[in-house]
Amino acid sequence: MAHLSPDRLADSALGIADPLTAAEKNHLASCAECRSELGELSRIVDLGRQPEHVTPQRVPTDAIWQSIQVQLASQATAPATTEPSAEPPPAPPTIAELPRRTPRLRSWFLVAAAAVLGLIIGAGITTVAVRDRVEVTSSTSLEPLPGQTGQGTAELLRDRGRPELRVQIDAPPRPDRYREVWLINTDGQRMYPLGVLPDDGRATYPLPPALASQLEGFNIVDVSIEPYDGDPAHSRESQVRGVLPA
Amino acid sequence: MTQSSSARIVAVPGRVRVFSVVDDARPEPEVVGEHTDWGAASEAELSMGFARGDEACLQEVFRRLAPLIYTIAYRALDSSSDGEEITQDVFVSAWRARDNYQVEKGSLSGWLIGITRHRIADRQRARGRDLRLVQAVTNTSDVQVQPETLSTLIDRIVLTEEIGRLPHPRGSILQLAFWEGRSYPQIAEQLDLPLGTVKSHARRALRHLRTQLTEVTSWPT
Repeated sequence: MAHLSPDRLADSALGIADPLTAAEKNHLASCAECRSELGELSRIVDLGRQPEHVTPQRVPTDAIWQSIQVQLASQATAPATTEPSAEPPPAPPTIAELPRRTPRLRSWFLVAAAAVLGLIIGAGITTVAVRDRVEVTSSTSLEPLPGQTGQGTAELLRDRGRPELRVQIDAPPRPDRYREVWLINTDGQRMYPLGVLPDDGRATYPLPPALASQLEGFNIVDVSIEPYDGDPAHSRESQVRGVLPA
Repeated sequence: MTQSSSARIVAVPGRVRVFSVVDDARPEPEVVGEHTDWGAASEAELSMGFARGDEACLQEVFRRLAPLIYTIAYRALDSSSDGEEITQDVFVSAWRARDNYQVEKGSLSGWLIGITRHRIADRQRARGRDLRLVQAVTNTSDVQVQPETLSTLIDRIVLTEEIGRLPHPRGSILQLAFWEGRSYPQIAEQLDLPLGTVKSHARRALRHLRTQLTEVTSWPT
């Protein structure tokens, strides 16, 4: 017999058809095309009964759109359009995939774009102060990212020769979150977690020994807002950032 | 009970309008200038504007499709931050690779969903490596429950959107049948329609869903 009609197949999948006739059953048994079509229609009925709703109100579209714009702008912004400066700004990082341990930061390009536009105030301050045997070799202000509040400073120290980072932030964390301090490389590929920032916003962290003499590009101080999810990776939500002089 | 009040029972507010290639009977725009009101554009119009590199068009595409992309990524990875990151990544990648998008080959939503599928699969593979590492470190070997496949999840989300978008009374009929488990005679009574009409609408709605699902999932990946 001929193929089953589209209506007949749809009815059968929906369970609203008269029972299949013997001739129709025979045809189905021998016709892969009709069997496949009926299978797909039945699958759609099955999946259609398990709805999975999209709820636009719960989607943080504004934040995502902002990040997209910054990311696209960071490529489009040529250094020639900014004020000439003595020191070239750090090159925007590549968008190559980061390994899982160091996931790409959503707001990463905010730093790059801000740096290109010369908006990071306070970077470049290099003061050397001697307090006891602690020497401040460089520092930067920490500025809030869009949508965040808080200000602070990060100072690179040498305590009896050992490299440390001292962080101070004036804003408290959100109640259901904690904060973590990171050193991020300007290549956009790597980062070191330095540790949890106490709620009073003050802490000093030892740096990995390899960074003792030079930061090797790990110039970006980042304070992230972390959920209590046990995931060791950066949450991609940052409160404040600053760039230490290279 | 009237038809309109019945429709309200199953209407889900806030649903975005997503796929409109097949439904849209609107003619192609003669001239698409800089000041085109993309908010009222059909997906076909948006697809062409996107392919041409109109940034205002990108924003409208984002407005319409970001909730869908985000929901797919969020549900597949069970992480809001991964959902955000992948949504961002999909639109940035798509915009940069817009020369690869060919209007005649399929819908823009289908193309974006294809990119989303790749990004999620990459992330899931990376997680698989993490999981094996954790298991090696903690010396556990718990057998993981096989999660729903990504394709099935995407199909369910797309179908839910499509069912929500079906015009009345077709949408109401399918929502009552699929989501509320009503029988067709019950639906006929509730909507005050002949049983044959209800069945006929359901049949056509199913075939429409079949077409739409193929449309958005048939991009070569």
